[in-house]
Amino acid sequence: MTFDLKRMLESKKVLRRKLAARPLAEKLAMLDALRERALALRKAAGSMHHTAVRETPGKYRTGQKKTP
Amino acid sequence: MSSISQVIAMINQLVEDGVIERYAIGGAVGATFYLEPVATLDIDIFVVFRPEAGRSLLSLQPIFDYLTARGGVLEGEYVVVAGWPVQFLPATSPLVDEALADAVTVQVEGMPARVFTAEHLAAIALQIGRPRDKARLLQFVESGAIDDEHFQAILARHGLNNRWQEFERTFFRGAK
Repeated sequence: MTFDLKRMLESKKVLRRKLAARPLAEKLAMLDALRERALALRKAAGSMHHTAVRETPGKYRTGQKKTP
Repeated sequence: MSSISQVIAMINQLVEDGVIERYAIGGAVGATFYLEPVATLDIDIFVVFRPEAGRSLLSLQPIFDYLTARGGVLEGEYVVVAGWPVQFLPATSPLVDEALADAVTVQVEGMPARVFTAEHLAAIALQIGRPRDKARLLQFVESGAIDDEHFQAILARHGLNNRWQEFERTFFRGAK
């Protein structure tokens, strides 16, 4: 345990690298778990209005292309 | 098998059965193929439809019909598959068009999954520019997951150089 900010940030970076290097199947399973946790937190915060909680979709520049 | 793998299996089935021509995973789930996992609530699937004579309008209805017939549940603009809200996004910009064409195939639990390249995910994040997209772009840069030459070429092709310079000024001032 350290309170040296530089070392703390470095250890966070190392942890992130280790997580990024995990097998893909394991990382996807982590996403499942993270989503469940996020949903539980939102429910607890009372902000859930729908059965499926969703994010605000990104604006992917619609309307610039015409289909044949 | 993770729930996301079940979604990928279903999307592959959409291709096999001719509902869509091809697809690629984008967004936070796509980024997880290259970076550490980050919490997300939905899955972005970019799709290319099979060209059909006489059809000039893009419609997601065939996808919705196919998935709801197999247990998917419509929730607004999402279809919930294996517990995940999945959003289908047609290619509606040259950048996304290119990202779909250049997407790579990765094996996930013994099956193929199409995903955007890291460089295209980063460029799309820059183009969209919401706070969480900027955070994702920072992850890509800091992790060294993107090939700089490839990334810069994409930015140049899609007129994103100025936006990138602004991003660098904001987040890397004095750090590079």
